[in-house]
Amino acid sequence: MQHAFEKIWPVLIVEVLTALIIIWRIISAQRGKELFIRRIPGLNAIDEAIGRATEMGRPVLMVPGIGGFSIIALQALSIFSYIARSTARFGNRILMPVADATVYTVAEEVIRDAYQAEGHPERFDPDSVRFLSDRQFAFASGVAGLIQREQIASSFMFGEFFAESLIFAETGNMVGAIQVAGTVQTTQIPFFIAACDYTIIGDEYYAASAYISRNPTMLGSLVGQDFGKLLIASLCVVGSVAATLSALDVPVLGTASKWFIDLFTIR
Amino acid sequence: MLEPIVRFFSAKPPAVLPYYVAGAVIFSILVILLLINLPSRMRKPLIAIVTFLAGLFYAAEFFLPIDRATNKNVLTDYLVSASKLGSLLGGMTLTLGILSLLRVHGRNIARLRAGWYNSLALLVAMVSMVVFGLMDKYGANASAKKVFNVLFEGMLINMDATMFSLIAFYIVSASYRAFRIRSIEATILMVTAFLVMLGQVPVGNAMTDWLPREGFFASLRVENIKQWILSQVNAAALRAIAFGLGVGGLAISLRIWLSLERGAYFEKEI
Repeated sequence: MQHAFEKIWPVLIVEVLTALIIIWRIISAQRGKELFIRRIPGLNAIDEAIGRATEMGRPVLMVPGIGGFSIIALQALSIFSYIARSTARFGNRILMPVADATVYTVAEEVIRDAYQAEGHPERFDPDSVRFLSDRQFAFASGVAGLIQREQIASSFMFGEFFAESLIFAETGNMVGAIQVAGTVQTTQIPFFIAACDYTIIGDEYYAASAYISRNPTMLGSLVGQDFGKLLIASLCVVGSVAATLSALDVPVLGTASKWFIDLFTIR
Repeated sequence: MLEPIVRFFSAKPPAVLPYYVAGAVIFSILVILLLINLPSRMRKPLIAIVTFLAGLFYAAEFFLPIDRATNKNVLTDYLVSASKLGSLLGGMTLTLGILSLLRVHGRNIARLRAGWYNSLALLVAMVSMVVFGLMDKYGANASAKKVFNVLFEGMLINMDATMFSLIAFYIVSASYRAFRIRSIEATILMVTAFLVMLGQVPVGNAMTDWLPREGFFASLRVENIKQWILSQVNAAALRAIAFGLGVGGLAISLRIWLSLERGAYFEKEI
């Protein structure tokens, strides 16, 4: 069983503080405060990729990874909901192979709902969202086969990916698809960078839904996230200075530094 | 207080197991019907309360101090019961997943669409795996066990390995495109990757073997440059990404936990 380590209070305080900052920023945004969000090229490319698929008359592929139902999958579905709304507007065909049964049931509802929201429920094809397999490489071969058979024009890969990421990205590249990918798996990011046209890196993944929807709650949460990162970065800088002062054994400051380092040391 | 729930979810003797399964199925159907027929204004707070309590349970279990001897706190024993509820939901959705497969491929076969025989092969393989898997687990037929062994060890494992081995070729083609020197970033990527690759192979190490193993010039040995790139440059970047992801995960979890995520997934509010 995994638990918070013995000295939980400093971690709990940092976490609660970050949570409070995020909630504060969400409330500010909901009250109408204007928030700035920098340009993320990978997310701007989503519309370009959908437009290309419309022009070519070929399908759009969306893969939510092979992870289970989690916040990562939910975030992917949030992005796919936006993409599905665009495809519903333009009448593109979509394909969404899913590896997890729980994600499949929610994904089908999300996509159906996106078509309804755009006023084109009749354009939703129930076979467009399909469960393939929960085995990693069976799913990989299924998706690779779909890409080849359907000659997809655009591919969006958002979610949890492992070794199969390169199979998807390279097969997509072979058929000349424009590819946008984003994952939280740091080991897979290099593969996506090498094989895809656009890659969403790190916390840009969690910024995606705020960026494309401009929903005040999400924008506020995004700004809160940045404050949270600032807090952690400040702790890193203070920790580095404290470690240096402690190593140099500076009078008074050295003792205070040792106390600070001890506070955050995991044993 | 939660003891009866834990007892309810504990292993049951085979004699009463079917009754528990039947009871659970009926209960699940009733809960689903109740949720479907509940007015929207009641459904929304109900889902918000359940989500909040479930999140609170896991957060409290993680943060509450533990007894070092048992590595448990007051909530740890109930984790198994909670995760069984998750498995139960997963099991129900798996049925929907299988129905999706049957629908898509059944239609391909019925309408004799192009490649219908592939759909037939898929369904035959799926049914065979289930039948022989059950016979292997619960039956005593030696032939069935052999067939299952051929299907699983002889075919499935090897096909998995085949797909996995394709990655080696994909890595070559992807890295060829990524390492073509077209910009400053691609050049840095190329040089860094080249140094790390050299540091990984004996021939790379042999190239700088003439440099001393101690002192300033030792840091110019290829294996030390590789180690520096991985442990300093790469690790720092990965940690920065991990921090961002951690805080991002916290933010989205909070939004879901406190039900602030309205309209993000479903345009209609739940």
